[in-house]
Amino acid sequence: MSRAKLEKLGLTLPLLPTSTVGSFPKPDYLLQARARFARKEIAQKELEALEKRATEFWVQQQEEIGLDVLVDGEQYRGDMVAYFADIMPGFRMGGLVRSYGNRYYHKPIIVGEIRWPGPMTVKWWKFAQGLTSKPIKGMLTGPYTIMDWSFNDYYTDRKSACLALAGAIRKEVETLVEAGAKVIQIDEPALSVRPEELPFAIEAMQMVTDGVPAYFITHICYGAFEFIYPRMLRFPVHNFDLEMSNSGLDLIGLFKKHPFNKDLSFGVLDVHSHKIESSALVKERIEKALQVIPKEALWVDPDCGLKTRTVEEAQGKLRSMVAAVKEIRQALDKTPKRKQRRIEVGSVVKKRRKKIRKHKYKKMRRRMRHKKK
Amino acid sequence: MELVLANHSSYPRVGASREQQRLRRAYAQRERGEISADDFNRIQDSVVAEVIEEQAHAGCELLTDGQIRWVDSISHLAARLDQVEINGLLRYFDTNFYFRQPVIKGRVAGNGPLVVEEFRYARAVSPRPIKPVLTGPYTLAASSIRETPLYRDLPTLVLDLSEVLAQEVRALAGAGAEVIQVEEPAILKHPKDLRLLHKALKLLSQAKGSSQLALYTYFADATPLYESLQELPVDILGLDFTYAPRLPETIARLGSRKTLGLGLIDGRNTRMEAAPQVFPILEKILPRLSGGIAYLNPSCGLEYLPRDKAVAKLRLMKELRDTFLQRGKR
Repeated sequence: MSRAKLEKLGLTLPLLPTSTVGSFPKPDYLLQARARFARKEIAQKELEALEKRATEFWVQQQEEIGLDVLVDGEQYRGDMVAYFADIMPGFRMGGLVRSYGNRYYHKPIIVGEIRWPGPMTVKWWKFAQGLTSKPIKGMLTGPYTIMDWSFNDYYTDRKSACLALAGAIRKEVETLVEAGAKVIQIDEPALSVRPEELPFAIEAMQMVTDGVPAYFITHICYGAFEFIYPRMLRFPVHNFDLEMSNSGLDLIGLFKKHPFNKDLSFGVLDVHSHKIESSALVKERIEKALQVIPKEALWVDPDCGLKTRTVEEAQGKLRSMVAAVKEIRQALDKTPKRKQRRIEVGSVVKKRRKKIRKHKYKKMRRRMRHKKK
Repeated sequence: MELVLANHSSYPRVGASREQQRLRRAYAQRERGEISADDFNRIQDSVVAEVIEEQAHAGCELLTDGQIRWVDSISHLAARLDQVEINGLLRYFDTNFYFRQPVIKGRVAGNGPLVVEEFRYARAVSPRPIKPVLTGPYTLAASSIRETPLYRDLPTLVLDLSEVLAQEVRALAGAGAEVIQVEEPAILKHPKDLRLLHKALKLLSQAKGSSQLALYTYFADATPLYESLQELPVDILGLDFTYAPRLPETIARLGSRKTLGLGLIDGRNTRMEAAPQVFPILEKILPRLSGGIAYLNPSCGLEYLPRDKAVAKLRLMKELRDTFLQRGKR
């Protein structure tokens, strides 16, 4: 649980902080402008003005809806990997590849040495943070996912490519922190794809986060978690942001078998469905989460970025989510103090028992060593 | 030894040009109700014909329809079965492609042909033989959510799906398919289920008539299972060499009683293979194969590559094969 970490950073968040995964749908005027920009019909400056307008819109929307930790909405990004690959030396943009259904993206190709080109996201983070007093998350894509979602014509193997990327992302993280970011989300949706590569994915994230004074979240979605859980808990971040609703909350079963020991951002909205979830349904999902995650460690958000929804769908879904969280917060407030205390005391007792067991074990080892002598 | 150039299964359905993106636009237009189902099908047909032509032009000798009509490898077949609903997205093995996961609500049953009409169309427009592709019963079952108590255990579902797919194999054989490819990538992740796969493939094999049944595995190292795969009731074994550094040695040591599909061309990465990578493996393996024929093919479906790279890989495959054979003659 990292409430203490957040407080150390000067962030006091309510119980069950609400947030989003990062992207919001682009308004029509921006979609048209991006298409015109691609056809070289408008200048970069003109496009950027519209990106700022859309960012302002989404920051204002998040405040109005009542979210606690905000994002810039990624109105200036297309794909989460292509955005970085487009900026970083060492990449060339490849052709279109399908990701699902009728969705395609330009998959980058690593063609040379990867280097950090200077700040890639900081300008937008500062712009968005300047619009609100609530914390804005720094939003990055992780080295493992950028490597996995790119073709590699340059590095000898996947690990070398991943570690080279980690060096570049580390510099971006440092720059975000210097600018004032306290919460940084580094998305690794590819983390579960090759369980045998988890050790070097962890090594890469260690390079990115080690010793940096920030609260780190990583978002993972649509993966086979059963192959990397509980080993994935060694990933050096404070909070895992997981897609839960699309998979029928089946991860809860895993958490019952082996307790989840980090903060969890629990995805309560299916971002691939046009249907707006009722707040009752969202509430039900949060209550299920509370069966396996302590309330102090639980965050609430959608399964994934909302960019594939319409503006109205995104707004509707988030309103349901915030309404449900408010109800649950009220209910938690009404929980008798004695019961709450019993839960807290319970966890203290457990910790103390663990300490005693550890102490007894050490004592026994000492005795055995003594006997040997 | 005859080395036949075969495509694997899928092929990129869009390319860089506006014309090559017509199917993408058609999907969006169909979703918005702007074009009719007939218009949409006509566009799909034209793209199937186009990718078949592209494979043939690149020198491929055994083609596929590129699985252009498939939403994904799993839900395209599962959605056509009784008692199956289609649920949310799930990553397809270690790719960054996502499939819609089937939910099995009751006893699965066939509900008409699955891909035989697609095969008939592809064959009619193709200058060369077409290989129809089916996702195998084990991979379909392992990729599904089993909600009904009827399928508390996986084997029952696998065998019921095998019955359904056997009907399709029979129909494809009847329609003139010379080679029918069954894809079972999931078995490499669950080797303990090889006996179950044996039973399942036996049902398919009994329905194949004079066609050849090909089992293709990929996305993991098949080396530890190689000997067991040789025992399965299929005629052709397709292997992905990109995950399996020890596989050439193993084949050289044990040989093969079955025709092999050699997945030496990486269908997942844009880096072009060079002769010094491929030729030593061919030299090692080919003398150990029986039957006088082997297939040279990509390691997996080519849909994971952009269209220009996919066609470049097929051209490269031909170049490598021709150079290798000419070298042998000298």
